[in-house]
Amino acid sequence: MTEETPVEDARPGGPTGVSRRSLLVAASAALPVLLAGCKGVQALGTPPPPPPEVRALRAAIAAEELMVARYSAALTRLPASNAGLLAAVRAVQAEHAAHVGALRSRLIEPAGLPTPAAPRAPALAARSSPSGVLDGLEQAEQAASNRLLEQLAVLPPTLAQLFASIAASEATHGPFLQAQAAPA
Amino acid sequence: MTSNAAAAIAALQQALAAEQAAAYGYGVVGAHLSFGSAAAAAADADWVAHLRAGSELTTMISARGGQPVAAAVAYELPFPVTSAATAQQLAATMEDRVAEAYLVVVALPETGLRSFGAQQVRAAALRAAAWRGTTEAFPGMPTSSLRR
Repeated sequence: MTEETPVEDARPGGPTGVSRRSLLVAASAALPVLLAGCKGVQALGTPPPPPPEVRALRAAIAAEELMVARYSAALTRLPASNAGLLAAVRAVQAEHAAHVGALRSRLIEPAGLPTPAAPRAPALAARSSPSGVLDGLEQAEQAASNRLLEQLAVLPPTLAQLFASIAASEATHGPFLQAQAAPA
Repeated sequence: MTSNAAAAIAALQQALAAEQAAAYGYGVVGAHLSFGSAAAAAADADWVAHLRAGSELTTMISARGGQPVAAAVAYELPFPVTSAATAQQLAATMEDRVAEAYLVVVALPETGLRSFGAQQVRAAALRAAAWRGTTEAFPGMPTSSLRR
């Protein structure tokens, strides 16, 4: 920190010139020192756990990837004769893919980290009827929407807005698909 | 008043103004839908939802020491409403604006207000999707970069 802003740090008025970036680094670097106090020298070798907003962001990315996989699985279970419903399911899946993209653009991972494996599509064996498939999707959407809203408190403002917007989008998917499935 | 408190009142005022405009707009929407139709009933229900939200915001703003903005007598519509189809389009457009206004509330540091704002973004998105018959990936997000 001091290498970046030596002049500002030397001021008597405090760290007014310290960039936000260096403050964030400083905040996460403070943790291993505390751990070292409890656990001894060995704790210095472990990297600090990611800050809560990073964990929330990673979890949200994984959840959206899982939704994309759920829709892939659902597409194999719905009757090919219902072209309108299939198109609607694909449109919703594309929105989840857009969610993944928007969330990923907010995550800056250090180089060299292993890429997490793509989520496997969940089993849908117990819900093979079209209405069962749609009910399962609607429940998953609602749960995903609620989980995003539970994370709001730990997020920086613009990320909170993105989470809230995606949560709102997910809430609309179930009613939309049910409306497409209903006979006109 | 701290800057956080002032920012909260300003965001709530924006949301209130959006709610008031929507309540006015639903009057126009209802006038173009056939009486007794499902769409007219939906417009009625949504109109009431906006009145209630406006009243809740008025209370919240007053409780924080702000002076709630007064509703305008009339609002300029974003496009001419001449049919049931354009009326439904207006309803969806107003819900977009309401969602956008509540996303500003979501950016506030106060946890309770974030949560309140997010619930309202969700409610507006649900109404917008019902009127439009399609969903959106990023309801209320104003930046064109995020729109598909």
